[in-house]
Amino acid sequence: MSLRKLLHSTTIADKVLFSLLLLLSLSGIFLIKAFVPEGHTVVIELDNKPVYLLPLDKDGIVSVDGPLGKTTVEIKDNSVRIQDSPCRNKLCVRQGWIKTGALVCLPNRVVVTIDRGRETGNTIDAVTG
Amino acid sequence: MDTLVTITVVSRSQEKADRAMNTAFSEIEQIAKLSDFYSPESEISMINRKSGISGVTVSPDVLEMLSKARYVSENTGGAFDITIGPVMSLYDFHKGIKPDASKIRENLHFVNYRNLSVDRNNSTVFLKEKGMLVDPGGITKGYAADKAVEILKQQGIHAGLVAVAGDIKAFGLKPDGKPWTIGIRNPAPGNSEDDIIATIGLSDMAISTSGDYERFFILDGKKYHHLIDPKTGYPASGCRSVSVIAKKGVFTDSFATGVFILGPEKGMKVLDKMGFEGVIIDSTGKAQITPGIRGKVEFKKTPA
Amino acid sequence: MLSQDKYRIALLSAYAVGLHGLESLLPSPVPWLKFGLANIITLITLMLYGFRPAIMVTLIRVLISSLFTGTFPGPAFLLSLGGGVVSTLAMATALSAFRGLFSAVGLSLIGAFFHNMTQLFLAYFLLIRRIEPILFITPLIMLLGTLTGLVNGTVSELVIRHIKKSAITDPASGTG
Repeated sequence: MSLRKLLHSTTIADKVLFSLLLLLSLSGIFLIKAFVPEGHTVVIELDNKPVYLLPLDKDGIVSVDGPLGKTTVEIKDNSVRIQDSPCRNKLCVRQGWIKTGALVCLPNRVVVTIDRGRETGNTIDAVTG
Repeated sequence: MDTLVTITVVSRSQEKADRAMNTAFSEIEQIAKLSDFYSPESEISMINRKSGISGVTVSPDVLEMLSKARYVSENTGGAFDITIGPVMSLYDFHKGIKPDASKIRENLHFVNYRNLSVDRNNSTVFLKEKGMLVDPGGITKGYAADKAVEILKQQGIHAGLVAVAGDIKAFGLKPDGKPWTIGIRNPAPGNSEDDIIATIGLSDMAISTSGDYERFFILDGKKYHHLIDPKTGYPASGCRSVSVIAKKGVFTDSFATGVFILGPEKGMKVLDKMGFEGVIIDSTGKAQITPGIRGKVEFKKTPA
Repeated sequence: MLSQDKYRIALLSAYAVGLHGLESLLPSPVPWLKFGLANIITLITLMLYGFRPAIMVTLIRVLISSLFTGTFPGPAFLLSLGGGVVSTLAMATALSAFRGLFSAVGLSLIGAFFHNMTQLFLAYFLLIRRIEPILFITPLIMLLGTLTGLVNGTVSELVIRHIKKSAITDPASGTG
């Protein structure tokens, strides 16, 4: 059961497959890093519906109420992070700060994206308050 | 009423639009005259003069408004109470005068919506105790918006928007087929009138907002605003602004005040019970929205 | 043989559920990094006993794990089911269609790849209907899948050899 014996049991096809997958994923990572659009609007969606459209350059903390509870999102120094969320494994929190791309908390249905600014075309017809 | 009224209509005919809008404006003016607390000739003033003496026969509009006001009082546990007149009058928001605690205590017992008797059969309204005063300011604008929209529809208008100050009623869709976009003012201290914090699309719904920035003065570092809690006689704390969305303006106007005074927790429960939607921004600047409008309200900035 | 098959499937499923449970207890310093240890069981089952036992082990494992974690019958369950079934099918197809081309390592890589792709696809359709976050994490998931696929495949290979060896040295244990 030595490593050498193991290496011998792997076929050429195995090695080709492994190299291919490795190459594909690494280049994918580089491509994404290079081509992700620069955004300046933080879009926070619940159940695929936008709740917050916030400027990336204004610090602040907001929270969204999902089915599991409150997900808190923080914007600071032109970066966004999910500060806390009621999901089990807190993967979304562990992703930390992002300047581009997206953060997702699947269990609580929250998606935080950095977009190039939404053309909502919202001219306001009247103001209450 | 000393308020800015804006009417927008969608119509193919300029003539028809003008006629409809003029009729609607007249209706609003009429309602204002009948319910003006500060005018001695209004029906409200007559009711107030006859407090503890006799009932007063009133017009259908005033009857309807006061009857609805009682209903709202019942459903907000008395947080919304138009008999707050005697206590409200003690404050002067222009000059920044706050009454003594003793004066407030003396007048608190006058504040009791249960002593406002509305007789629909005889069209009379009676304030049971002498010294009581009704101030329908918290419900007239919403009611007026409802009536104005009714008139516009009667005049053949299918889509439009009536804004009586911040009490708005929208019906139909804009020419581009989209609902009317209403902006909610940012209640954060020191913010200007055109600082919008969120927008919502409305069609065939009314929206009103009660905020601690509308009428207020600052004395000794404390803010005294016009949303007085009928139980204490002092301005309610807990919220910065409350926006209520419902089918009728008469309810959005009054419940916005009631929910504001109840505070975020109790307020949300009332909205839930009544089946209304709303946005509550509490005193820490945190925003809460009812589940029904999730995804329909878009916040442009953090409230804090 | 039938009852021996059932016994085997039950035992293997138990191992799979156990491994899956153990894995979720492990502290994961890197987000998204799940080793997919239960897939080792599926692969071993496939290579030693064939497609039917393998797919059964997968189905049982997915079902029981999701019942235990309370994620049945939600989207997490569907994602797990989809990933498990498609990856088992892919591995079985590769094994039968390309006899001898791949060792356990290659098959594990194929399984991991299809498992992840299926889950990403399902996540897009059932959960997040925005392609950006999905595209964003795909290369990362693929990289992690490739690495764990390698490790799992190696472990599977080792285990299979061990089983085969003990089968040879112990003729009384039948077909192993």
